[in-house]
Amino acid sequence: MASIAATAGGPTRPVRYGSISRNRRRALIWSYVFLVIFAVFFLLPPVYMLITSLKTSQEISAATNPWWVFNPTLQNYIELLSSNQYLTFFRNSALISIIVVTVTMLISVPAAFALARMKFWGSATLATGVFLTYLIPETLLFIPLFKTFAYVYEYTGIQLINNWWVLIVIYPTLTVPFCTWIMIGYFASIPKELDEAALIDGASYIQTLTKIFIPVALPGIIAATIFAFTVSWAQFLYPLAFTTSTDQLVLPVGIITTLIKGDVYNWGQVMTGALLGAAPPLIIYAFLMDYYIAGLTAGATKG
Amino acid sequence: MVDAATGAAGISVGARRPSLHKLFQRKSTIAFLMALPLILLISLLVVYPAFYSLHLATLNKSMERFVGLGNFEFLFKRQTFWMVVEQSVLFAVTAVVFKALIGFFVAHFVHAIPSKGQRKWRGMLLVPWVIPPAMSTLAWFWLFDPSYSAFNWIFTKVGLGTIPFLGDAYWARFSVILVNVWFGAPFFMIMYLAALKSVPEQLYEAAAIDGASWWQRLWYVTLPMMRNIISITVLFSLIVTFANFDIVRVLTAGGPIDQTHVFATWAFKLGIESGDIPLGACVSLFMLPILGLSAVFILRDINKRGNEA
Amino acid sequence: MAKSHVSRRGVLKGAAAVSAVGLAAPFVRGAHAAGKLAVGFWDHWVPNANNGLTKLCNEWAAKEKVEITIDYITSQGNKNLLTIAAESQARSGHDLLAFPTWQPADQARHLEPVDDIMTELIKQNGKVNATVEYLGRSSGKWIAVPATPGSQIKGPCTRIDLLKQHAGIDIQAMYPAGAAPKADGWNMETFLMAAEKCHKAGVPFGIGLGQTSDSVDTAGAIFNSFGAALVDGKGNVVVKSDPVRQALDYYKKLIQYLPADVAAWDDASNNKWLVSGKGALIMNPPSAWAVAKRDAPQIAEQLWTHGMPAGPKGRYAPFLPYFWGIWNFSKNKPAAKSLLVHLSRKESAEALVAASGGYDLPSFANFTTFKTWAEESPPKGTLYHYPNPHDHQILSVTASQAPPKIAAQIYTQAIPTKMAVRHAQGEPMEKTLDWAAAECEGFSRT
Repeated sequence: MASIAATAGGPTRPVRYGSISRNRRRALIWSYVFLVIFAVFFLLPPVYMLITSLKTSQEISAATNPWWVFNPTLQNYIELLSSNQYLTFFRNSALISIIVVTVTMLISVPAAFALARMKFWGSATLATGVFLTYLIPETLLFIPLFKTFAYVYEYTGIQLINNWWVLIVIYPTLTVPFCTWIMIGYFASIPKELDEAALIDGASYIQTLTKIFIPVALPGIIAATIFAFTVSWAQFLYPLAFTTSTDQLVLPVGIITTLIKGDVYNWGQVMTGALLGAAPPLIIYAFLMDYYIAGLTAGATKG
Repeated sequence: MVDAATGAAGISVGARRPSLHKLFQRKSTIAFLMALPLILLISLLVVYPAFYSLHLATLNKSMERFVGLGNFEFLFKRQTFWMVVEQSVLFAVTAVVFKALIGFFVAHFVHAIPSKGQRKWRGMLLVPWVIPPAMSTLAWFWLFDPSYSAFNWIFTKVGLGTIPFLGDAYWARFSVILVNVWFGAPFFMIMYLAALKSVPEQLYEAAAIDGASWWQRLWYVTLPMMRNIISITVLFSLIVTFANFDIVRVLTAGGPIDQTHVFATWAFKLGIESGDIPLGACVSLFMLPILGLSAVFILRDINKRGNEA
Repeated sequence: MAKSHVSRRGVLKGAAAVSAVGLAAPFVRGAHAAGKLAVGFWDHWVPNANNGLTKLCNEWAAKEKVEITIDYITSQGNKNLLTIAAESQARSGHDLLAFPTWQPADQARHLEPVDDIMTELIKQNGKVNATVEYLGRSSGKWIAVPATPGSQIKGPCTRIDLLKQHAGIDIQAMYPAGAAPKADGWNMETFLMAAEKCHKAGVPFGIGLGQTSDSVDTAGAIFNSFGAALVDGKGNVVVKSDPVRQALDYYKKLIQYLPADVAAWDDASNNKWLVSGKGALIMNPPSAWAVAKRDAPQIAEQLWTHGMPAGPKGRYAPFLPYFWGIWNFSKNKPAAKSLLVHLSRKESAEALVAASGGYDLPSFANFTTFKTWAEESPPKGTLYHYPNPHDHQILSVTASQAPPKIAAQIYTQAIPTKMAVRHAQGEPMEKTLDWAAAECEGFSRT
């Protein structure tokens, strides 16, 4: 099972599967028909976001054909990208995601190495435990964390609520277990002879990790990085519960709470905001699709 | 072998720092130190709050008094609570079934076309999973809007009349499940595709020689080979879907008349928005039994894997 | 815990000493001139309305030499409620916050009493109505000052042309600009008849029955006009009463003439309904009209904001005041009080009303006839009746018969609209009442 992920991880390697040519032509046509239907279904919301984002509020209000843009305009994009507020959300999201990715990698790569290669007392239990944290969703943790933060403030004077950087502290709980798990799998698939030889040559464990394991498992690390980035970028519940001032918000919450203004709405701008908010993961995905997919499949095929 | 390795490492480090020699030469110490940040993170920010949540659930609303199981007693008497239980289960099960089915068939279709085009289709079909769900749900929300629904515009044009997507209990549930399926099906698709590719071609060839039909090949070759991945993916998806917050929150916020609330959204409503933290903690704890059940299955599977290795 | 109590008492003493100085003398000047003040106001949805408030604050800050930081916190997705909850949990954050309707009562024990400034303000600006007192006072003390921004009456906003054409009602004659209303015939029965005719004509009334404030406010006013209370002043559940049954019956009749998905409407849905030209009437402050003026001017020209229909027990209008409150853990209470006095002056109120295009509503009796309301157009005079200038209707809030803490939960859990929808969807009357009674009993949890 583990090997699937590993082979899918190499983007340059063309993948070859049996002879499709033997399949009947009819089956092929049906496959295409269904693929088109599903592609329409899957791509509908992002396309509709794009359509709406090109409209003026007048055109939207007039309730004309919603599927067509009669007077395309980039006004929504210009307004958003020149609005300090939106740029602040963007900056917060970007900073948080980048730092969280870094922290995640710094925690999970050495831990995965230790758990995969250097057994210590309780290491097997810990490996399982790491995986089990996946079973404690953030929807269960936000209430106790909320109360805990209030206590932290009471006793230490450190204000955790309504500060964007608190998200840097809690997001790793969402990324680290999964990334560690992926990395354990990747490290485990590296032949033992490789590191044993290095150790015999006098390399330290740290050297073995940085000189051998990290380069060899690079596709896995990239996959894990992408995973960590997408999770931090998309997280909605924690920022909704823990940040409130507009200058502390991240994109998903910022768009939903400040661009939709209840009575006075501007859906062209809301959709523009949502589309721009979806852009970074989409761009990364467009360029690193194979790593992305490797990351996704690695988690479960190894689970 | 291992002893030799440790010895070598110990010499190279220990030669310069005799005082730390003992501590750092131990392989298990180094390993423990490397795993320490992970252990701290999990124990402080996952395990501790999880237990703290149990404690919170036993306090009264103003969190000044211990009430034991009083909050649970209170919840059991609420009609809304049982509705939320039903809905959470209904959503998770229905959505996962449809995700699994759609994912399975789409994976087959992708697998059936020439491998040249597969990458392109795979890329397109995975897009829903890539967009942050809060963003894409916003697009769905706008597609369902009471006054400006783009779907209803089409239905009116072809003379079907309008559908109250978010206004009627059944349609609202349908919409929430639809968005959930839309978001999650690509994940199944990609997992199944990976699994399909791992089925050795010879098996199909052998089956074809024996004159097996398409269904027979599916039933006797593909499904048994994919069984592990299917069960694991279903399990994963069940956990994620069951604990979902974003979609319901953005799409319906639990309405109409609470008929789309799930554990997570209702806990948020009670715990954070209505200021009843203990009650909110109680509600979210109800996710534990089903998650625990999943844990049992996963553990079983991990052990199996351990034995194979 | 003990630690914070001690320090709080200390601060309270300090504040009392300062407030004894009285209103005439500015609170902060001289030696203690500088100082910081962090305020969180409601993020107004009328474009640029925030600027009016910012300008007033900066004027004050320059005069008093206070360093002020202003956050505008939206009420979308209950963000402001989350902020209030978080800050009261954490006992830190802003000094002064905008509190929507129920929050002062809810947070009473964390709020600094403002009796000193309220007494003066009432003397200067005229009295406030019973609803403001009900919401802004707790245990005999004022705990918040009624705020102009965000306070609103959610009366009907009607399409003049559609109502005339389909229901034969000339709303401008009933509510003439610049004069007292001649609306004795405008009652719940007329309203229902008009709803039916507009429904038949394909332009139904857009009255939300969701869980957000617009929907609940309308339901509250209709319940009140039937005299329907869910919980009485002593906290007893009185759901099973004839007025409640009458109100539900009325709603059941009304709902059949409303759009099919009103149960999912949020605060924007009714605006969209009106602006898209699909409906003849909604219940809203003038923000829908303001959006129409921006995006669909031909519709704006046909809009008229006016009073509620009368029910058997009186003519009740949904009124939703906002408040400004000072946390008792604030480090600069004198400055906060001084700012509130500044913002409650007549000139300030008038500026705020103008900045919001007439949306905002000061709560003081002498402030209902500013020229913004008389002059806003098109059509001219469309907002004249919005601030209830002739005291023609009783300004009320949902469930106000109950103690505020219970009423707040009835309101946030949207019990009245949920009752109406349940009953209208075919649930037997007594079952709906049983359900509501059980919910209301749950609200007395401590």
